Amino acid sequence: MTTSLQALLAGWISGQRWFAGKGRAIDELTVISDIELTDDDPGMRHLVLAVRQGENVDHYQLLVGLRAELPDRLRHVEIGPVEFAGRTAVAYDGLHDTALTRLLLRAMSGGEDFGGLRFRGDAGLRTDLRSLVVTAEQSNTSLVFGDIYILKLFRRLNAGLNPELEIVSALAERGSPHVARPYGHIELEGTTCAILQEFLAGASDGWSLATTSVRDFYASPEGLGAADVGGDFAAEAERLGAATAEVHQELAAAFPTGELDRDDLVLLATGMHKRLEHALSEVAEMAPYAEGIMRVFDALAMLGRAETVQRVHGDYHLGQVMRTTDRWVVLDFEGEPGQPLAERRALSSPLRDVAGMLRSFEYAARHLLVPEAGAAEPAAGSDQALEEARAAEWAAHNRAAFMNGYATGGTDPRDHAVLLRALELDKAVYEVLYEARNRPSWLRIPLGSLEEYRQP
Amino acid sequence: MANPTVPDSGPVPDTFDEEQPRDPYWYKRAVFYEVLIRGFYDSSGDGTGDIRGLIQKLDYLKWLGVDCLWLLPIYESPLRDGGYDISDYLKILPEFGDLGDFVKLVEEAHKRGMRVIADLVMNHTSDQHPWFQASRHDPTGPYGDFYVWSDTDEPYKDARIIFVDTETSNWTHDPVRGQYYWHRFFSHQPDLNYDNPAVQDAMLEVLRFWLDLGIDGFRMDAIPYLYEREGTNCENLKETHEYLRRVRAEVDRLYPDRVLLAEANQWPADVVEYFGDPVTGGNECHMAFHFPLMPRIFMAVRREQRYPISEILAQTPKIPEHCQWGIFLRNHDELTLEMVTDEERDYMYAEYAKDPRMRANVGIRRRLAPLLDNDRDQIELFTALLLSLPGSPVLYYGDEIGMGDNIWLGDRDGVRTPMQWTPDRNAGFSDCDPGRLYLPVIMDPIYGYQAINVEAQQKHSGSLLHFTRKMIQIRKRHPVFGLGDFTELTCSNPSILAYVREMDGDRVLCVNNLSRFPQPVELDLRRFEGVTPVECMGGVQFPAIGELPYLLTLPGHGFYWFTLPQTKHSAEET
Repeated sequence: MTTSLQALLAGWISGQRWFAGKGRAIDELTVISDIELTDDDPGMRHLVLAVRQGENVDHYQLLVGLRAELPDRLRHVEIGPVEFAGRTAVAYDGLHDTALTRLLLRAMSGGEDFGGLRFRGDAGLRTDLRSLVVTAEQSNTSLVFGDIYILKLFRRLNAGLNPELEIVSALAERGSPHVARPYGHIELEGTTCAILQEFLAGASDGWSLATTSVRDFYASPEGLGAADVGGDFAAEAERLGAATAEVHQELAAAFPTGELDRDDLVLLATGMHKRLEHALSEVAEMAPYAEGIMRVFDALAMLGRAETVQRVHGDYHLGQVMRTTDRWVVLDFEGEPGQPLAERRALSSPLRDVAGMLRSFEYAARHLLVPEAGAAEPAAGSDQALEEARAAEWAAHNRAAFMNGYATGGTDPRDHAVLLRALELDKAVYEVLYEARNRPSWLRIPLGSLEEYRQP
Repeated sequence: MANPTVPDSGPVPDTFDEEQPRDPYWYKRAVFYEVLIRGFYDSSGDGTGDIRGLIQKLDYLKWLGVDCLWLLPIYESPLRDGGYDISDYLKILPEFGDLGDFVKLVEEAHKRGMRVIADLVMNHTSDQHPWFQASRHDPTGPYGDFYVWSDTDEPYKDARIIFVDTETSNWTHDPVRGQYYWHRFFSHQPDLNYDNPAVQDAMLEVLRFWLDLGIDGFRMDAIPYLYEREGTNCENLKETHEYLRRVRAEVDRLYPDRVLLAEANQWPADVVEYFGDPVTGGNECHMAFHFPLMPRIFMAVRREQRYPISEILAQTPKIPEHCQWGIFLRNHDELTLEMVTDEERDYMYAEYAKDPRMRANVGIRRRLAPLLDNDRDQIELFTALLLSLPGSPVLYYGDEIGMGDNIWLGDRDGVRTPMQWTPDRNAGFSDCDPGRLYLPVIMDPIYGYQAINVEAQQKHSGSLLHFTRKMIQIRKRHPVFGLGDFTELTCSNPSILAYVREMDGDRVLCVNNLSRFPQPVELDLRRFEGVTPVECMGGVQFPAIGELPYLLTLPGHGFYWFTLPQTKHSAEET
């Protein structure tokens, strides 16, 4: 290992879209693990880099491909020329090399160990499939093998067992139809590096489906209700609600559960109040809604009844659910991104997921109302009021359907109205702050959904 | 076509020369055309279409690209149920012509490489049929046991009543014989008693009669109901299948290139039973209609997402090697939603009940164009789906020019008005006094015969008629549409339905935008890396397929058909 490699990697990594420390200088880059997977040409090594930026140290994993000569089709993922054990080669992102990626399937299928790097998986895995790097992802890299498996490789490593692997394995073992079946994984000394799962061929995510319905509704003649137009989403929303309830029941059965007592609820409400105050201090447009929202948080603090908690999804929205040909499947049980692992695995009310999905319906209903960049602001007047009314109608119609579906699982979220509304409003407060900071033109979305809390 | 297991890629028509063997599996590639003799062309000037009139229009059908005509009942009948109440199986309804005309029709069709099949009702007859009259008057005579008689109306309580609007029981009392007779449909349509070997033989006699006249097959009406057994719902019974196997064996023995097309309005999983044993390649019916697909095509486009179609195709079992589905958009009946009413079997029904537009369509009697608001883009998209989804397409007469309907006519007559040939009197259908027409021609400003007719559309190359003909031609150039495997492709845009039809040499990629809005799609075509897709309408070469997802953009309700020619360099890896 030469220092030039480290310099090379430092330059390369800062240009990768999954690199979390963009815009800040890299103070130090250390290769803390280097494992050879094959010394052929092409060869492959598994590296873990510690990247220090100021106080912050992040660990990233890399599968480096090595070839004496780089073919044109791999030029776009070149890292640069390096020297390994006296051999000169061109290093590149090995995940893009279909000649190398089958090795990962073979190692998982064979349960092979390379030093501390352990590959585990079904012995019956098909190992002859060609891989394709999925381009859509931001923070990780996924490979689709054939149209059967998807291997999600975590770029930034979090020490310990990944909650997605933990939950999906437990639910799959219970026979849940609502998770993508796990087929294998890669781990390095107890830290999950990659998960191989069933690829949901022919599936589309809930957001695309919901917005298809919204688009159809907005293009339909005035006077037709959300339930009357051909693109009505309610049947899907109801089925999604039922699937969500099933997943929650399975999570409750597979993992420990607990209770939020009075004190916990007071604590929860206090946190919500604090976040609201913070948002109010930053977003002036929030002021007319404050009192109405506070009343709900106060009601939560005084609820005086216990609420159950369990493992939940944690970051539940329409983008996390996939409609396959015959069912809804829930993805990414990783908890709230950016939180430490312990917090992501903490027990919480299942209504938090319900609230997350309800917020997602509000976003789906309204995102088409946001003028695209560069477009003229619509003239103020009745059009906007009509648009808002239609958005509210679509959201209410599909929220109700989702909750009807969820209630078929035995718990009607509307029986826990105080906690549900508080959770939803807490999320909305977060959204207001986020939009005000990042996408001011979108501020209309969370605020529009809070109409009933607005005071003149 | 010496070796029938390797269909050649030439046009379907057989020559019907005695010397040249015919393709026994012609129906797998054929384009069917449902024609109402009454409504097609009137040669005698009496206001009702007839067989001779149809013969005069065969050249038009040949030009359109039709391979096989499907005739609605042609038999003598009191016409209380559109001819499905047959009073003599061996006679032609006099207003249509006579047996001589029929033989001529078959000959003329064969001359043009086309075939003719006709509806046959095996389950029941008219109460005017001499068999029934004999049966009720002479219980001990030779026909006494031809129908299902009972002293009470108690037996077979588990059989549902199909025509719930008009019938309250499957039994009706006959005052002459003093007994009840069994009928699954109207009370004037007594069910034949297939437990009686004489009935079984009589019906085989009927089949042989028409097959000997040259008919190329039958669309067998209402076949799930032939037998009754206590404690069952009296549908799809094993005895019914046994009898169908007997019918098929007879057809195979004497008439090897004829086709039996089952009308079994059942779930695909039940309908496949009517193909018979897969080991034999199918030993009951050659074809069966795929009923649940049609309403789902409408629903998918309404919802602007593919799942209604994807789901039903995923639920459709594989069929025996020599069998084929018949698929259709519209026919002479209402838009049948019978196959979406069984909650137990299909949770899709929940979607229908929740979709008031579709609910409003239950039993609606409309033609394709008015159902789609006369939207040319949608009509073209539906036509493209009909011609590319797995199965043999069945066109309904008049839909190729976008004919309208007359919802003020009673029952199903609204979609059975005279074919619109020209802008002249009676739409060129007949030269009788307009008042004598069996039904008035469509006269409204949008769909009326002055605007919509064959003559005008033949003159304009941009017409729907020319579009339909062009699409049929493309289909016929690629037998893979009829014979190939169907694989739906992965794509994340729910409004796009994409699939590949493939068979050793031939591969076609179909991409459909079910949304009214323009849509992009990224298709995973790695399997075809290196292949240059060629668009079928214009032969334009599209960019070669590479390793990355293949990006296409489609206009609202747009579609593409591409051939994927094999190349030496293509990476045929999976």
